[in-house]
Amino acid sequence: MPGNNGRHHQFKKNFKKDRPLIDENNPVLKAFQAYAIELDAKHDRYERIVKMSRDITIESKRIIFLLHSIDIRKNNKQKVLDEAQTRLEKVITCNFKAIAEELHDHDPYQFRGAYSPGLQEFIEAYTFMEYIKYVENEEDSNQGEMIDWNGLQKKMTYPAGEDNADQSNSVEKSFFVDPNEYILGVSDLTGELMRRCINSLGSGETDTCLSCCKALQKFYTGYFSINVRRCRELSRKIYTMRQSVLKAENVCYNVKVRGGEAAKWGAMFDGKSIGDDIDEGFF
Amino acid sequence: MSNFVNLSLFENYQKYIDNEQEMREKIRVIVREIEQLAKEATIQLQVIHYDLEKIGYACAGARKQISACAESYKKLAELIPVGQYYRYSDHWTFITQRLVFLIAMVVYLEAGFLVTRETVAELLELKTNQAEGFHLDIEDYLMGILQMASELSRFATNSVTMGDYDRPLNISRFMADLNAGFRLLNLKNDGLRKRFDALKYDVKKIEEVVYDISIRGLRNGAVEEAAAVPPTAEAVANNDSPPNADNKTE
Repeated sequence: MPGNNGRHHQFKKNFKKDRPLIDENNPVLKAFQAYAIELDAKHDRYERIVKMSRDITIESKRIIFLLHSIDIRKNNKQKVLDEAQTRLEKVITCNFKAIAEELHDHDPYQFRGAYSPGLQEFIEAYTFMEYIKYVENEEDSNQGEMIDWNGLQKKMTYPAGEDNADQSNSVEKSFFVDPNEYILGVSDLTGELMRRCINSLGSGETDTCLSCCKALQKFYTGYFSINVRRCRELSRKIYTMRQSVLKAENVCYNVKVRGGEAAKWGAMFDGKSIGDDIDEGFF
Repeated sequence: MSNFVNLSLFENYQKYIDNEQEMREKIRVIVREIEQLAKEATIQLQVIHYDLEKIGYACAGARKQISACAESYKKLAELIPVGQYYRYSDHWTFITQRLVFLIAMVVYLEAGFLVTRETVAELLELKTNQAEGFHLDIEDYLMGILQMASELSRFATNSVTMGDYDRPLNISRFMADLNAGFRLLNLKNDGLRKRFDALKYDVKKIEEVVYDISIRGLRNGAVEEAAAVPPTAEAVANNDSPPNADNKTE
């Protein structure tokens, strides 16, 4: 039966850093103090990862923007591609490594919400870079295949450092690439391909339009074939993807029907109607 | 046509999610077992609201169901690969919270103190440290405790109805401790925070019951009463002051 042992009247003062003073003889408060420490540790870790993820998102968006600046009239393709690749590698070796260290010995699924936006955006940027590198390469076209989650996982595994003096560096760490996140990230790539398709129409690279459209159609087929239950995020993205495919197909139709004049026409019309939703609202 | 997009990628992904679905099916079967047991325990504990004599009996019955749950949890622990607890945890968080609530209720009714996370974990044969394996999540524990607070406020009113005027005072003191405990936590704007916000209504409800009893002198030996009241009054004051968690919201 509930008892009253009068423990409320005894107060012993104890100074602990950052913690409120509590009655040391009260077992409930003592227990909660321990819970508070545990919860704070978890929340702090979560927040730190959210911050890192945000940096990755921003850098990835900038890289995508950079890749869109490739223009045949400026002849800057190789230069832009090299820069994008270097920056992406840097994100892997710095930003993702930092998250890997934060998540070391922790359940990555517990912090999924914290890093997922950054990871998806990064996958979008990385595959977009690969697309331009492999598909739109004049000299040696069709040389590569898009990286899959295993490939990415390999890139995001950081071997133990040789420097044994540094304890934190002595074990292999890896950032876990969840196939779900990968698939969601790649689905965003289709939006970029659609943009690339329409921009190329503006600059008159009709071949690029056609190859973008083909890739889009293939992606759409692939995504269409996946049978997932109860994943609203993915079905929403597939719906958006369908819009992108339709836009790109419309561009290709115009290329075919109007031939050379399509460039002018497209620049006037399609480019504008698309311009509104170019940014996903991050900046 | 480029081979940039490899459709086998999607086949692999399909295999991956099919495996996951299979796993989820297996989990669901076990979770359903636990749900059934928890339901039986909940039903048994309902007796406290209309028959104070049977509390001991109800607790013993509920304990049986609870220890049966440990078996199912063991199965879950074997099923879930190391480091994937939170991948599937949405299947069992709800029922785990429910069980924490049941255990906390039983322990309070039997012994009158707040069950610790360690004891709950022990009864369900779970770990408390995440690194050691299948564990009792801290937030699930706290959510379960908050559920108990609501049930206790109901219990306080019903004990008065049944003529037990001492019990609400004990409950009130217990809740004041609990409330003070929760105030030590820095809660984020999440589910736990929302559930915690409801605690003040439970506390208030009990304070009202205690007030009604005290003002009417319904307790035996109403004179000694005065000594027992201060902690209650203190809890009321604590409750009226701006909740200190509010300072932490952004």
